Amino acid sequence: MADQTPGIEPAAARSFDGPLERVDDCTWRIPRSYKPGMLVDGLIFADDRLIPQLRSDRAPEQVANVAFLPGIQQASLAMPDIHWGYGFCIGGVCATDPAAGGVVSPGGVGYDINCGVRLVRTNLTLADVQPTLVQLVNQLIRDVPVGVGQGGRYVFSPAELRTLMAEGVPFLASRGLATPDDVACAEAEGTIAEAEPGLVSDRALARGADQCGTVGAGNHFIEVQVVDRVEDERAAAAFGLHAGQICVLIHSGSRGLGYQVCDDALRALRDAPAKYGLELPDRQLVCAPVDSPEGRHYLGAMRAAANYAFCNRQLLMWQVREVFARMFDRSWESLGMTLLYDVAHNMAKIERHVVDGLAKDVCVHRKGATRAFPAGHADIPERYREWGQPVIIPGDMGRASWVLVGGPRSLERSFGTTCHGAGRCLSRTAATKAARGRNIQHELERGGVVARCRSREGLAEEQPAAYKDVDIVVDVVHRAGLSLKVARLRPLGVIKG
Amino acid sequence: MYEICEHTADLGIRVRAGTLAEVFADAVSGLTAVICDDPAMIRPVVTESFAVAGTDPTWLLFDWLSEVHAAFEVRRLLVHDVQVVVEPQGLRATARGEHYDPARHVLAHEVKAITQHELDVRQTSDGWEAFFIVDI
Repeated sequence: MADQTPGIEPAAARSFDGPLERVDDCTWRIPRSYKPGMLVDGLIFADDRLIPQLRSDRAPEQVANVAFLPGIQQASLAMPDIHWGYGFCIGGVCATDPAAGGVVSPGGVGYDINCGVRLVRTNLTLADVQPTLVQLVNQLIRDVPVGVGQGGRYVFSPAELRTLMAEGVPFLASRGLATPDDVACAEAEGTIAEAEPGLVSDRALARGADQCGTVGAGNHFIEVQVVDRVEDERAAAAFGLHAGQICVLIHSGSRGLGYQVCDDALRALRDAPAKYGLELPDRQLVCAPVDSPEGRHYLGAMRAAANYAFCNRQLLMWQVREVFARMFDRSWESLGMTLLYDVAHNMAKIERHVVDGLAKDVCVHRKGATRAFPAGHADIPERYREWGQPVIIPGDMGRASWVLVGGPRSLERSFGTTCHGAGRCLSRTAATKAARGRNIQHELERGGVVARCRSREGLAEEQPAAYKDVDIVVDVVHRAGLSLKVARLRPLGVIKG
Repeated sequence: MYEICEHTADLGIRVRAGTLAEVFADAVSGLTAVICDDPAMIRPVVTESFAVAGTDPTWLLFDWLSEVHAAFEVRRLLVHDVQVVVEPQGLRATARGEHYDPARHVLAHEVKAITQHELDVRQTSDGWEAFFIVDI
């Protein structure tokens, strides 16, 4: 081996030096003229504070690449938590028109299909929880499966798993593991229609067989939080939130089953670009027309995985309720542990949007981006409709998370979409290097956060400094009118893989 | 040899070796090192055979790594070492290792998948080189 070989240059070494034109104080454009083949502009929501970080990796290049996708509408969009992904950037939004040859791309959803978050309220206060916080977090990591290789306690037969993927959370309600209220307070009521469990491969079923009701690893977690600031009293009251209240945030997705569905789809689509004459700048953007056998096959399997993910978060919440009930020696109902909302942030959905004055059914890809419909939208649960859709934004385990509400400009600017988190700013290797000689767990503890993690790598790679400041990210989407601030939550305890 | 490279959210692995077969073998060592904290703790007590079809070296690497990854995900097989033979229509490999035992093995990362982003295998003046990113 010799270093001077004209070998492969990993893209991490490169930053983005292409054009970024200021549109307003929180929107930047990559003009269509940047690359021949772009069908629309790229549009990134960010402000001056985020631009240096934005340029430091290849994520803007990926925004430009997505603009090549046939049938793309309006613009290739990215949220302020944008960072380098594979194919699509994380924080990317792309809507395609099936009637105009629009495509669906599994890379525009990601491996973790319907990765998402749900927020559970309690009627406990900081004073109730503080004295036993360490015990509570220890109990959570003992009783809730978290980490690599951790199977769950819920074992479904293959036939039940198929029903679960077809029906979503209502199936769990039929097994006494969800209430009607849990169903009503999830995006799409915890069930995506037209799911095709029969199209999910045996390998995907094998990977998912014992994982429904497990957190997993990577950036997934369960956090005990306290509402530390209310920004919009009326919306907060409508969402059942008040300062000093304890909540639990759950972040996970479709586990091995969903990862395999994506992997299977990428394999099945390998020859689709040649078959459909698609010119793509990145192999990972592989896609097929929505209205094609390959496109329909992927969407059917993806929806099945999405329903599995809703069920996963439901079973996680169920286990969290049981732990709280044991710890506080009261039923979870009397602890007020109701679901505020559950949102997906890796998904492709057919939705009706107005594009250039025309109402169209478009395929909206949200890859690390959250649906954020404004007040009055029919797809919002009735109890929240006059305020707008609740949006839950996990930050990092040291600083904050947010509850927002769908903003008045989200439909017109971003197909009803906002950010999904803080967004990474350090690579995993850089974060690990930065953690050498430090004890992240003690640092968090000094900041008032009890952290328990199964792996040595987990806390180092996911340390707060690895993420952008969620307050800045949220400030941008608020000012852009995509979603508005309701309440800020501070972490108290976290379990991770 | 392999090295772990930076990627904002995930991990990249760069492999350099004299022959294509060695690149395929070393790529698995890199993958195992991402999954497992201390690969030296994996004993060669189980032997499994793999056959992967394909003529394009890049897709062959992808399909091969996906098979090894699936062996861990589905059967919990941790691979200690592999012998790879590259043939005109694909590769054959013998992998030795053991099944995951929480008492002996510390897992480091949950690898969701081998991605196709920046996936590359190429011949250099000194041998072969490969790059792939795993989704964490």
